[in-house]
Amino acid sequence: MKKRSFTPYFFIGPHLILFIVFILVPTIYGIYASFTKWNLLGDPVWVGFENYKTILFDSTSTFNAQFMNGMKNTLIFVGLSVPILIVIPLMVAVALEHKKVKMKGLMQSILYIPGLISISAAALIWLLIFNKQLGITGNVFGSQIPWPANQPYAWIIIIVITVWGGVGGNMIIYRASINGVAKDLYEAAEMDGAGSIRKFTSITLPSIRFPLIYTFVMTTGGAFNVFGQPLMMTKGGPQQSTHVLMMYIRQLAFGHGESIAGMASAMAVLLGLVILVISAMQYYVMNRNAS
Amino acid sequence: MLKKINLSKYLAYLFLIVLCLIWIIPVLFGITTSFRTEAEVVSSGFRLLPESWNFENYKAILENTSTAPILRWLFNSLFIAITHTFLVVVVISLTGYGYTRINFKGRDTLFFTLLGISFFPGVVNLIPSYKIIDALGWVNTAWAMIIPGLAGMGNIFLVRQFLKGIPTELDESARVDGASDFRIYYSVILPLIKPVLIVCGLFSFIGSWNDFLWPVIVYTDVDKMPVTAGLLLLQDIYGNYRMIGQLVGSAILAIIPTLVLFLFAQKHFLQSINLNSGLKG
Repeated sequence: MKKRSFTPYFFIGPHLILFIVFILVPTIYGIYASFTKWNLLGDPVWVGFENYKTILFDSTSTFNAQFMNGMKNTLIFVGLSVPILIVIPLMVAVALEHKKVKMKGLMQSILYIPGLISISAAALIWLLIFNKQLGITGNVFGSQIPWPANQPYAWIIIIVITVWGGVGGNMIIYRASINGVAKDLYEAAEMDGAGSIRKFTSITLPSIRFPLIYTFVMTTGGAFNVFGQPLMMTKGGPQQSTHVLMMYIRQLAFGHGESIAGMASAMAVLLGLVILVISAMQYYVMNRNAS
Repeated sequence: MLKKINLSKYLAYLFLIVLCLIWIIPVLFGITTSFRTEAEVVSSGFRLLPESWNFENYKAILENTSTAPILRWLFNSLFIAITHTFLVVVVISLTGYGYTRINFKGRDTLFFTLLGISFFPGVVNLIPSYKIIDALGWVNTAWAMIIPGLAGMGNIFLVRQFLKGIPTELDESARVDGASDFRIYYSVILPLIKPVLIVCGLFSFIGSWNDFLWPVIVYTDVDKMPVTAGLLLLQDIYGNYRMIGQLVGSAILAIIPTLVLFLFAQKHFLQSINLNSGLKG
């Protein structure tokens, strides 16, 4: 009997300890640190809402300017990338599910593979494509402009590499979901004379609404954490116009000079809150409209 | 009617083929450029194939063992990803067993509480996580990347879902024969949940290999970092565009392991979704 009561700890105990040490404690500490002045080395000093006031309302402060610029650029990235990361995978899935299309496996693999490539490796390859002297944009399209250093090209290359790497995951989800839609629904619609577009909007879309909500929420949440693409492709330029919030957070907490981890934590909490609120809204609105 | 179906077929083909070309050309162009001489890189315009295939770039990359020790980085990444994946499989199978096959008070409440907490955006725990890794003395060691990821709930959720779909008759009969929980876990359950463990393991390997933000923060020692963080340094080292063949060659070396893994385990990657019953509305 005594041995039995120890059993749960053996199975769930190790993970529970990991969870407490690497998720629970740092999350609580991260919220606490946002109310302090902290340089990562010494003890945090409580300052109440001081960091939040500075970030949100003190227009003379560089932290305010950084946060506003970082949040603006992050929102631009989310707004540009998320719709494409939903629509293209959906179109691919529909095209791949077309009865007469051959070599589905090969094409699916080609579109999936970039998702397995790290952002730093992908960026080095794409920077070659966008290189003025050697790449495709310069030689094939005759563009004389260095793309990473000029807008709107800086955003274009960030979005291109994001979409290139991000299409595969959602594509797999949509394909599996479309595959699961009952075939007789389509046959019945065909007999009623429905065309491809009508079948898509009246049968496919409503049938896959849960995967759609899921991918929409997950893709958006991921997009808010954007960091690697601008860091590798544009270094935040030109004139900080692609400098996203995550880059400022890392810079303030871990950059050169003394760490300003309290301020960075406050920015992180604000970013976290925005992600939470937006995902809750997406879930609520889409779920209501779907049912 | 017949004509209409054909039109949609050609549209589907056109769309897919154009997309596939855009998707594959950067990789092919990157590979061929890594075999060009510096003179050809500088002089020629865009040409898909090099004038002649030469290995100078790769020789130069591999000979640079001081500022950009790429073999060292690849070895670090491999050690981190393999160890992490092994531990993920151990932890999620044990924990999944615990949350489905062992009865203790508040079990499901505990599980869903942890799951709820884990939905909180990870950006908030980034800075304190560094502090914890620092306190453990793990900065600039492989443990900084191997251990924290084991705390996640996503894979445990999948294993738990999978286990809930397996009838308990087998473990009950083993229990009647006097088998302990560990015995049942090891001999009965582990073989049964192999499909879900393979998928979770593969994605853990890829995730660990490709992680970027975290290694950029926790590694300052060039000899200790994984290849993703190393490649960030390369832009300064091979930044001159004459050396772009070496820059791209390094990137190609960094993607080979995951591509090989994909070739061998393709069907697990592409069918993984079947395990995620939560997605089927």
